Amino acid sequence: MADIDNEQVIQVLKTILKRLVQLVPILFVVITLTFVLTRMIPGNPAAILLGPQASPADIARMQEELGLNKPMLEQYVNYLTGISQGDFGKSISYNRPVLSLILERLPATLQITLTSMVLAVFIGVPIGVFSAVKQYSAFDYIFMILALVGVSMPIFWLGLMLVLVFSVKLGWFAVLGMGSLQNGFWDVVQHMVLPVVCLTTIPTATFARITRSSMLEVVNKESIKALRARGIRESLVIWKHALKNALPPLITVIGMQLASAFSGAILTETIFSWPGMGMLIYSAVFNRDYALIQGAVLFIAIIFVFVNLIVDLIYLVINPRVNYEGGGTP
Amino acid sequence: MSKKMLSIFLVALLMLGVLSGCGGNAGGPAPAPTQGSTEATQAPDAGQPKSGGVLKISLPASPKNLDPIKYTGTYESQIIRSVCDTLVEYKMDLSSIKPNLASDWQISEDGKEYTFTLRQDVYFHPGQYQDGRQLTAEDIKYSLERSAKESAMNRLDMLDYCEVLGEFEVKCVLKDANAVFLTALTDAGNAIVPREEVEGWGADFGTHLVGTGPFVLKEFKLDQETVTVRNDKYWAATPLLDGVTFMYINDHAQAANALKTGALNIATSLQGEAVQIVRDDANLVLNETPGLHIAYLYMNQVNGPTADKKVRDAISMAINREDLVAGVYPYGEAQIANVPLPPGSWGYDKGLESAAPAYDPEKAKALLAEAGYPDGLSLKLYISNTAFRIKMATIVQQYLKQNLNIDLEINPSEWGTFSEIASSGNADIYGMSWTWYPDPFFFLNKLFYSGEIGALGNGAGFKSAEVDKLLEDALLETDQAKRADMYKQALKIVMDQNPIFVYGNENVTDGATANVQGFQQRADNVIVLVSDEVNVWLS
Repeated sequence: MADIDNEQVIQVLKTILKRLVQLVPILFVVITLTFVLTRMIPGNPAAILLGPQASPADIARMQEELGLNKPMLEQYVNYLTGISQGDFGKSISYNRPVLSLILERLPATLQITLTSMVLAVFIGVPIGVFSAVKQYSAFDYIFMILALVGVSMPIFWLGLMLVLVFSVKLGWFAVLGMGSLQNGFWDVVQHMVLPVVCLTTIPTATFARITRSSMLEVVNKESIKALRARGIRESLVIWKHALKNALPPLITVIGMQLASAFSGAILTETIFSWPGMGMLIYSAVFNRDYALIQGAVLFIAIIFVFVNLIVDLIYLVINPRVNYEGGGTP
Repeated sequence: MSKKMLSIFLVALLMLGVLSGCGGNAGGPAPAPTQGSTEATQAPDAGQPKSGGVLKISLPASPKNLDPIKYTGTYESQIIRSVCDTLVEYKMDLSSIKPNLASDWQISEDGKEYTFTLRQDVYFHPGQYQDGRQLTAEDIKYSLERSAKESAMNRLDMLDYCEVLGEFEVKCVLKDANAVFLTALTDAGNAIVPREEVEGWGADFGTHLVGTGPFVLKEFKLDQETVTVRNDKYWAATPLLDGVTFMYINDHAQAANALKTGALNIATSLQGEAVQIVRDDANLVLNETPGLHIAYLYMNQVNGPTADKKVRDAISMAINREDLVAGVYPYGEAQIANVPLPPGSWGYDKGLESAAPAYDPEKAKALLAEAGYPDGLSLKLYISNTAFRIKMATIVQQYLKQNLNIDLEINPSEWGTFSEIASSGNADIYGMSWTWYPDPFFFLNKLFYSGEIGALGNGAGFKSAEVDKLLEDALLETDQAKRADMYKQALKIVMDQNPIFVYGNENVTDGATANVQGFQQRADNVIVLVSDEVNVWLS
């Protein structure tokens, strides 16, 4: 990135500043809508908390205890005031501050989602490149069929099959749970393998397909042909020049996958009893835990905004012609 | 730019939509404790009981709060019962209540005062705020009044106050005579806890529970596991196990897999194919006991066509219970039932079984025509979206269409939505199940007492002055035989009205590895690992 000039730095700073300013109305809308929508889902949190045997009087008392009998507007204003002071509210099912719950779960989620993202990039991108270079070869057909299977694989089924083969039959990996460093590094790895394989499947297949189609567009361009004509080594042409030009759509997809990585993987975490964001959100929705649902959605919205910002900044760097002032897209 | 912002925003909304749809049922509000027979599962040649080993038990939902007065699900109460004790307790066969922390008790003539004498060899686990001191009458007063006054769960609402008569003697005074007081005391929600720890931990007591039970809470890892270790000073017996770890496993198939690999010793509340997986595995033991449970369709008593008894009779006669139960429970997870009280309850009367209309499609058709629907009608059925309910609804739908030309619209929804509609009184029919203590009060008063209209129990709006009177009288009577008689009379009147179509009685189903010894199932699904009757060990 030696060719970054002053104008580009200003452009980057402007983009960051603009995004931060835009964050405020976005978050306001997200907060308002999640507040309204969570309350539109049928089901009374107090009744769910108390279970089937609760009498109407019990439910009324619980509602009062939870502050759910206050006027909606008052609840909303209280919530907004809280948010503005960094208070995301308190989860009714966990009886704890929402923010601390989210932050506590994030490491477990990132442990498997980031590992699988890295694996997916390192496996998916080379496969995509090879498939593009050897278009219509046996390699191309086999891997693109595998990618299609990978994209369409039901995670739930895949997870249980993996457990059946690798845990129950072969005894190589743990069935579920997270493992602990107290039992050694291998214990952690043993518990991570199957959920990570589950989570890697779809992104790997997606990255492979995107890379392939994007590379195909690039490799036949005049500029790439010119490089070849100049006698530059083919591997250099493909892996440096062509891949760099094929990156933008891939970065968008990786960015989106990365952002969703923070929200956890509801199915995978549930199958493997992995105590991350996915399980937290599952339980929040199930329990009609308003504050927790709102907090989680808000948190995810913020992550999405930031990941998008980073993606845009990367565009600026790899392709300085992109001009956000005019709203152009690369 | 604006497009991108819009997409971010839409993604956030979409997530909320997706999430609200994925409520599912797996962690549904688990029923409160419940009775029945017990079943010892002793593998042959197990040898002499020996000490050692950590027992790993799975729970189908994640425990969040172990504070007795705040717990909401059975899965939480299982842990509380291992860490704490109650004043009195059910025998393993649930036939009667036995002494526990109280060695003896007297009931006053008017049934309003219960005087308990406490054991003098009971000590709390040492904690942050007390050093393992002796249990006294003050602790009983504190814990029970705390439950009666501070708990939104309302598990001891009949208690007025307690009075300490001596260091080991306490009198509990009720607001009115109430025959189910002792049963209520057996609930984990009324377990005895030390004031210092409750006040010291404050809101965090729910994750730092201290009691007098056989196991001491060592570590509570939210949504993962709860680790407990042996209490060497336990008054009833020295536990043979070094400790018990309760693990949260949401998926039944995964619980069975974990049993197969030995990562788990006991999988509780198994369902569906997982039952067969355990049954087929020679290295695993499947424990099944008919539970204190009934599955039923409750028909609207106030509005719509089912307010007419003829329509209700026609519906009841148009469904074949045998086939329904065989279809819904292909792995033999339930028995056929037709009385709105489980056979395990002491109020059950076999003679009432004939009072439920039998399968008779011809008569059903004639009754429906008499009621003014010779060409059939349309009805809406509400259920929670669990596998059992959906199968049940589909089979019932076929029977009603085939025999009565009734178009039954099935409305499955996740628990919160279901319970709101069912209790609102607006459902034509709703399908669910009920499970609780062996005392008939916890079935009949909840399902058929007019005061419960608007709650999920009596969401269909059943109302009968005679039944109300019998249920109220039975609550004041302390003689169990007399009470049983009143409940039988009430049941007879209810069944004559035919408001409810009961079809199944589910088992309590647990899977265990072969090395688990001395484990006994209770029909109320309460797990007792160490008491004066049992002491589970690993061979």
